[in-house]
Amino acid sequence: MGDILLEIKDLHAGIEGREILKGVNLTIRRGEVHAIMGPNGAGKSTLSAVLAGRPDYKVSAGSVLYDGRDLLAMAPEERSWAGIFLSFQYPVEIPGVSITNFMKAAINARRKAAGLPELKPAEFLKLLKEKMSFVQMKGEFAKREVNVGFSGGEKKRNEIFQMAMLEPVLSILDETDSGLDVDALRIVADGVNRLRSPRSASVVITHYQRLLEYIVPDVVHVLKDGRIVATGGTELVQQIENQGYDSIDG
Amino acid sequence: MDKLYVAGRDAVPSFLRLGEGESLRMTVVVPEGVSCHLSLEVDLDGKGASLDLAGASMSSGSERVDISVVVRHNVPGCHSEQLFKSVAGGCSKVSFDGLVYVAQDAVRTVAHQQNHSLLLSESASVESRPQLEIYADDVECSHGATTGYLNPEELFYMRSRGIPEDVARDMQVQAFLSPILARAHSGHTNAAEQ
Repeated sequence: MGDILLEIKDLHAGIEGREILKGVNLTIRRGEVHAIMGPNGAGKSTLSAVLAGRPDYKVSAGSVLYDGRDLLAMAPEERSWAGIFLSFQYPVEIPGVSITNFMKAAINARRKAAGLPELKPAEFLKLLKEKMSFVQMKGEFAKREVNVGFSGGEKKRNEIFQMAMLEPVLSILDETDSGLDVDALRIVADGVNRLRSPRSASVVITHYQRLLEYIVPDVVHVLKDGRIVATGGTELVQQIENQGYDSIDG
Repeated sequence: MDKLYVAGRDAVPSFLRLGEGESLRMTVVVPEGVSCHLSLEVDLDGKGASLDLAGASMSSGSERVDISVVVRHNVPGCHSEQLFKSVAGGCSKVSFDGLVYVAQDAVRTVAHQQNHSLLLSESASVESRPQLEIYADDVECSHGATTGYLNPEELFYMRSRGIPEDVARDMQVQAFLSPILARAHSGHTNAAEQ
């Protein structure tokens, strides 16, 4: 087993005064893929929002250690520099900003934070092309405004493209399968699988088992009403598929 | 003709007249730190005259920027396009008054006017007063105005990719102004060099 990468202890969090996470405990080691499954409203997206540092979500109790650091004290951009990546359930459109400029700003900010010089334009373009082919994106893709006018599948591929560009240590995929047809799902899953490494870990958040046929998790958790109520292997996925979330008691 | 005026550097004209078949593409930029009152009246006096007017203002301190534009369609078949964008921060105040007048004879007029503002602080203010005065039939006229703050969803998305908050804000402001700044950067005759 790898070192502990993420350690969540008794995490309580919510939005607009409403508590959604009611004591989440979760330990993730390097090299592992964890699936978090749960019905709508269980708190899956809240967990991913809190881990990425969304300002409108408030933590009322508990702690999160990431690579030995107090994650909750870090700004969203610092979390990114430290290797955390959230694939958004609903990727945001940024009119007027091209994918190229967006990624250039992201890559160079991270390099600056690490005390490295900016990438030379030729190096950056090479990286961009390499990672675009990774998710089967064509040349004009880089010139498009971020997510503006993208189909559901293109938005999710764009998330995985960004993930490939940023080479995260901890990837959190929030409902990355929602709204994808089988071809797009396969491209996305292939991308994620190719990014697996012994030093990194992934959290795959999903309502359905479908994505987990393509990205096979090491550990499966069931989140219900703000708590993890069951942890096991892929047999849990099968149980949910056959008997529903009601079969798993909190 | 294609002209760029930078307030505080160039004398921005206050009256212009376009005759038959004449067309003017004009861009006015009010940079940060410049307080001004710009008043521009354009008469479209010849058939087929065409005006393409754009302006941007940026203010981040205690600037006062007042822009007032009157475009008169006096004869048939003229075309005017107006796009003004303001970014207001600090405790700056920006106002935009835009009147499009279409005379009774000025049939087949096409006139569009847009004014969009982005507020960067709660102490900044913008006022937008677009007006249409139309006395002719058979015209195509529209105006629109919006005022808003930077989108927090966009900011968080950018920050989650490692773009620091101040850089993310700058990128959003640049994106907002880009349709006008692109005009200012490309192919314009610099009014000060004439």
